[in-house]
Amino acid sequence: MASSRNRRGRSQETGRPTSSGQSEAIVPSADTRLSELSGDAEHPGATRLPADVGHPANTAGSRHVGPVRHLSRGGFYGRLPLHVRQGIILRGMWGRPAGRFALIVMALWLVVSAVSLVWTPYPLLHTDGDDAWASPSAAHPLGTDGVGADVLSWLMAGSRTDLAVAVLTVLVSAAIGLALTAAMVSTRRMLASASVVVVDALIAIPTVLLALLFAVPFGTSIAVVVAACGITYGLNMARILRPTAALAARSAYVEAARASGVGPWRVFVRHIVPSTFPVLAVQLSMSAGTSILAEAGLTYLGVGVPSGVPSWGHSLTTSVRLISVYPLTVLWPGLVVTLVVTALYLLGDAIRDCADPLANPELRRVEVGRSGPADRGEEAES
Amino acid sequence: MRYLIRRLVLFVAALLGLSLLVFVTLRILPGDVASVMAGTNATPARVAALRSQMGLDRSYPQQYADWLSGLMHGNMGVSAISGRSVSSQVGSHAAITMPLIVLSLIVALGVGVPLGCQAVLAANSRVRGVLHILAIVGGAVPALWGGLLLIMLFGRGVGLVGILPSQGFPDAGWRNPVAALASLILPAIATGLVAGGAIMRYTRACLISMEDSDAVAMAMACGMSRRQAMLGVGLRLSAAQLVSVAGLTFAQMVTGVMVVESLFNLPGLGAMLIGDVGNRDLVAVQSELFLLAAFFLLLGVLVDMLHHALDPRLGEQSEERG
Repeated sequence: MASSRNRRGRSQETGRPTSSGQSEAIVPSADTRLSELSGDAEHPGATRLPADVGHPANTAGSRHVGPVRHLSRGGFYGRLPLHVRQGIILRGMWGRPAGRFALIVMALWLVVSAVSLVWTPYPLLHTDGDDAWASPSAAHPLGTDGVGADVLSWLMAGSRTDLAVAVLTVLVSAAIGLALTAAMVSTRRMLASASVVVVDALIAIPTVLLALLFAVPFGTSIAVVVAACGITYGLNMARILRPTAALAARSAYVEAARASGVGPWRVFVRHIVPSTFPVLAVQLSMSAGTSILAEAGLTYLGVGVPSGVPSWGHSLTTSVRLISVYPLTVLWPGLVVTLVVTALYLLGDAIRDCADPLANPELRRVEVGRSGPADRGEEAES
Repeated sequence: MRYLIRRLVLFVAALLGLSLLVFVTLRILPGDVASVMAGTNATPARVAALRSQMGLDRSYPQQYADWLSGLMHGNMGVSAISGRSVSSQVGSHAAITMPLIVLSLIVALGVGVPLGCQAVLAANSRVRGVLHILAIVGGAVPALWGGLLLIMLFGRGVGLVGILPSQGFPDAGWRNPVAALASLILPAIATGLVAGGAIMRYTRACLISMEDSDAVAMAMACGMSRRQAMLGVGLRLSAAQLVSVAGLTFAQMVTGVMVVESLFNLPGLGAMLIGDVGNRDLVAVQSELFLLAAFFLLLGVLVDMLHHALDPRLGEQSEERG
């Protein structure tokens, strides 16, 4: 076992002795207790960690590839009512400066996107020929661009396009990434090695090349951006998830599940995916953030969102044209993109730290408090 | 050794798969490419001539076979628009893009690795926090915007401190190396800083995971200072991962490189590809995309090999697995 990472959760082993002697828990860690106390009979908690836990190979810089999580049902799909769990997670995120910043920006993004559907300060096609390149004023809070269109209106309308791009990219890349991960840790050796080969071979293909390739037959559209981003980030995600998923796939609880006749899909969804959740959360938020950057770049190159459709890439592009004359206009779209992408990156970290019972003591306390002898019952709003 | 051979076989297989993907995707183009390219008021004879010139009158398998055999003989085809051979076209544009990519990578690594280390090792916790924020924000800046800000700051003629050329590439090309290099500095910084943010984040994460590792503890027990142990032992142990990540960052940096090329008016591969895609120059796009993708596949192979060289445990592992 290489390194003992200083996860907040793992240092609190000594809190209470394991409730019963029935399971031969070699490492009486928080996770063992969780699954015991939540009455998970399927997986008695022998959690001897495989010898190569924390093997740094291929973890591609993610230090969050922790030891095997033994969470099965006590984990992310626990019995806690969803709203209680969400409340705790959100409160945890709100309690951290980075998490609070991310939550605020996300909420603003959603609200602005929704508002822009029904109202923007000016209609998008409204232009003031006489008022082109106006500085910020009461009439145009962020000024106007080269044809006199209101910058704020276009940015607001662009936020919903980028929201769509980010959400769709997350969905596509998660689907591709998880499907590839499932194949890579599959028990069928042929499938497993074939998928490893595919991922290794294609990992270095740049997003922009795929976008250019798809743009030839399909023209410019959001779908091209989403497809190009989804495929490349999905491959990336699969490669980063593999070590964690492989570790879980070799664990005793997965073996136990398989032996008791649980089908391969159910094993993957129920037991392997939850164990990768901390890595997955970070990767998904990176996908979302990077897809917005990619949208801006591809739109500028003319292979992203079609011209005329409001998007942040579009706002950046139009403001670039006369940069030397009116440099201030270009400030806003860039600031918005930087702000939102930063928030997305931070969001992933915050979710990782708060939604993982191993890292969030409060969440763990509630789980244990509910199903075990209630020593901290006050948290469980049942 | 066995790994190396397997990886190379895989590389060739991936090239074949990739060529098929490019070929098929470009053939689902709706409508008749030849008539699109010839323009609206072209005579049918001109369209037919163009079609046979591009080989579109043959069957798809025939076209694919022709293209592949051409590729193997180093014949990438002839652009239907400029009439130049695709290989010379790629060559002349790559002479700008490749140095730009290398320069950007130098900037990214030069900024990312030392600052990433500093973000873990700085004695002052406030400095560490600021560097962490810098890493995240740095990676969140769109390359386009970063480039613009650089032009506004340093661009000759427009910037506050106009000291560097910000538009175009000297006509003399690399025969005038100083001017050529100067014209690449701002673009390289623009893309390099953004990629540097990512590298910085990864360096930081790697080093933090080493912070309480047995290896570093041992080194410190042997009398190294914390800094020496982290940089000498910790960084070396995370080198394999860092190389992997740098390779991927490098591949994803290409979008930014193309954007910045266009922003700084550099006639690089980006300009060429965008032009050819816009013109639906099928033959040229096909070979160009394949060539570039092959370059990145090769890069993936190199990164994997470097990773293996830096982490000997992987060698044993793959031998075991067979």
